[in-house]
Amino acid sequence: MGMSSIYLSVDRLERAMTFHRERHGVLAGNVANVDTPGYKPMDLAPVDEADAPGHLATTDPRHLPGPGETEAGHLSFSDPSGSQSADGNAVNIERELAKVDANRVRYSASGELVTRRLALLRYAAGDGTH
Amino acid sequence: MDFFTAMEVSASGLATQRTRINVASSNLANASTTRTPEGGPYKRKDVVVQSATLGANLAGQQAGGFSDAVRGVQVASIVEDTTAPRLEHDPGHPDADARGYVAYPNVNVVEEMVDMITASRAYEAGISALGTAVSMAERALGIGR
Repeated sequence: MGMSSIYLSVDRLERAMTFHRERHGVLAGNVANVDTPGYKPMDLAPVDEADAPGHLATTDPRHLPGPGETEAGHLSFSDPSGSQSADGNAVNIERELAKVDANRVRYSASGELVTRRLALLRYAAGDGTH
Repeated sequence: MDFFTAMEVSASGLATQRTRINVASSNLANASTTRTPEGGPYKRKDVVVQSATLGANLAGQQAGGFSDAVRGVQVASIVEDTTAPRLEHDPGHPDADARGYVAYPNVNVVEEMVDMITASRAYEAGISALGTAVSMAERALGIGR
């Protein structure tokens, strides 16, 4: 415990940030293709490794992969039954922008936690005066 | 896929929407043009948009697997609307035909305005996504401070 747990949580948070970074790229692609005929929006879901022994189960699409799991998620075409315009485009711009914002908040939250873990480490490594 | 790829994707969307706004402006400006270098009235232009894979230099950087699945967007071509020109009876007009009809461009001003507003909204959405990528990258730079 002790030091190793700080490194462990930083490592886990780093993977979370990687996932949200990749997801932002996917969502930005949806926003860019808001009026491309026939375009279907995509989304990135964390990899579900619930079957593998010793791995944390992801029972919710927003759960993040535990240590040792692949950092990138898998692509999915979100909501194929969703509304479509006459040209076959299924991008809902409001929903995509909401996802982009929510994704950014999650990324920032992980970033904030990493900052605090590292500050803790700096405090412990220094003379205690911060 | 790093933040610069996401920014590249957003930029491709912005460029496409800007082209749509330019074309709509051109159609509006020429809504009553009866003479063109090709002869005849101005013909309405339309933008054909298609999704595009990212440049090899960007997509090849990361073996993420889905970098090639994430699509930017590009203007495939700008085509002429082939619907018939709008005929108006105006015998005094210098471009009137033998029966006194003047062929005006097949431009519907209301349609062009709607196109322009749609493109403008899509442009704003792209700016927002681009701004988010920038703020996320800046947040990452703030770690350890």
